[in-house]
Amino acid sequence: MEFRFTNREQFMEKLENILESGMSPDNMKIVMPNPDHEIEHLVEHYKSPSKLKYFTLVGGLTGCLTGYAFTAWTAIDWQLVTGGKPFFSWPAYTVIAFELTILFGALASFAGLLILGKLPRFSKMLNPENYANEYVIIIEDED
Amino acid sequence: MSSHSTNVLGSNVPERDELYAYNYKAKLEEDVFAAVSKPTPLFYIALLTALGCVGIGATSWAIQIINGLGKAGIMNPVGWGVYITDFVFWVGIAHSGTLISAILFLFRAKFRNRFNRTAEAMTVFAVLTAGLFPLIHLGRVWFFYWLFPYPNQRHLWVNFKSPLVWDVFAVSTYLTVSVVFWYIGLVPDLAIARRIKESKIAKTLYGIFSLGWTGTFKEWQHYNQLYKFLAALATPLVLSVHSVVSWDFAMGVVYGWHTTIFAPYFVAGAIFSGCAMVITLMVPMRKMFRLERYIAIDDFEKLAKLLMLTGLIVSYAYIVELALALYVGKEGNVFEYEQFMYRLTGDYAWAYWTMILCNVISPLTLFVRKLRRNLIYLFVLSIPINIGMWFERFNIIVISLARDFDPYAFGYYTPTWIEWGITLGSFGWFFTFFLLFSKTIPVLPVTELKEEVD
Repeated sequence: MEFRFTNREQFMEKLENILESGMSPDNMKIVMPNPDHEIEHLVEHYKSPSKLKYFTLVGGLTGCLTGYAFTAWTAIDWQLVTGGKPFFSWPAYTVIAFELTILFGALASFAGLLILGKLPRFSKMLNPENYANEYVIIIEDED
Repeated sequence: MSSHSTNVLGSNVPERDELYAYNYKAKLEEDVFAAVSKPTPLFYIALLTALGCVGIGATSWAIQIINGLGKAGIMNPVGWGVYITDFVFWVGIAHSGTLISAILFLFRAKFRNRFNRTAEAMTVFAVLTAGLFPLIHLGRVWFFYWLFPYPNQRHLWVNFKSPLVWDVFAVSTYLTVSVVFWYIGLVPDLAIARRIKESKIAKTLYGIFSLGWTGTFKEWQHYNQLYKFLAALATPLVLSVHSVVSWDFAMGVVYGWHTTIFAPYFVAGAIFSGCAMVITLMVPMRKMFRLERYIAIDDFEKLAKLLMLTGLIVSYAYIVELALALYVGKEGNVFEYEQFMYRLTGDYAWAYWTMILCNVISPLTLFVRKLRRNLIYLFVLSIPINIGMWFERFNIIVISLARDFDPYAFGYYTPTWIEWGITLGSFGWFFTFFLLFSKTIPVLPVTELKEEVD
């Protein structure tokens, strides 16, 4: 079954009806022309929010640890006094750790979108469904 | 979501009917992609001019590589000259792009949606330009990879205590994250381009870069979260990048560099110059691409206010560094005192007062509402601000080095034509990218503007 709407309010009404009737959002495909927080809140009543945040967290922590560990290791691997500072000069290494936290966090989040959103989707690259700016609900038949 | 009918379809549209949002979205796509499609003769003239400048820059660099760094005017005691000035200038230009796309996103400032695509593009291209300068500044550019920490035969690592190495990490992280952030925002718009474009080649290319985006709820759900996190990561990043750039100087012992206000002072200056550059780029673009109905005078006024605010912060920083030098006085710290007296009255006084005129005096005119809302005035004003911010970096770098501690080591630096040629080339390089962007990628963030109308 496929429902198409040009009007957002009518779409939301229909969507709410379907969701209230007990249909899980995982069993249908909803297509929207743009991100919409109201619709997101509505659906997330019935579906858990995105797990992408864990990618960001793990990426960021990895970056932070890498930053400190790598700088400390290189300083200790070949011991050379520079600027009369200790080998493990953590205040200086914090800058590196900070930048790597952000770099790894951002790249992991991007990877999160690709993995969770199953992108890139090669079959859709060249032959997309053309819904233009319509809101669409597609319910896959159970049988 | 609230309606924005005032600057959307004009005041002569009395009511929103059922199809209002749907029609608006279609019209928006049409208008934005009309701007992206056919290059005019003017575009080709601009592109050729920009490429010509790139040619001049490349030739100058080639002359420098063949003959050595002596072709540039940098020499003891002024070892950092126009190249490092250009580097800081271009990194600074980049910053307002991230401010607009990330910080204003977190603050839910709606007007950012008009500027963020262009401002982010500007960020990416400006960092690409800035990244060239540390390389140009190298005597033996073919050894540039020595900056990166890789295991070499001598088992030596780079010195992570050096601000120059921090800079390598900060700037390359900034470039990577800016590209990712920009690209993510682009993906849904590229999917629209894939649908709208007629030619097969365009459809294929946009299709590939759109990653097969279909706009399903699941995709948007992850996309929203990703966008939020990237904005939250880019915000501290942008503040850190120019802080690290400022530490290239502040960690040194030279007076005029060695102060604690440098990080916030540089960040404010960066956003100041970047906002000026956004205005320089967007005012003509709005006119040429007929985007008047999407970018209102009110939106520009908000940018102008941002320019005012950061201009005042920059002015405050100038006063603080000068006041501190005068406060400790000749008896307290003769080097710092003399450095600032030299800036005010010495050989480079012309550069110092140019900076004051451009960065302190000229933005004060924005307190007049009429001027703030006059696009031609804003455009004209943005150019001296760009020049003034270039001179700010020139003053900090060159004047401090020209007169440090030992009078026997004082010097005077005159840039050569090689350095000016490369500087011109950097503008050409930046504008080449920008012009190509303006004809291949939607210059307004279509999906974000669609979201506003619901």
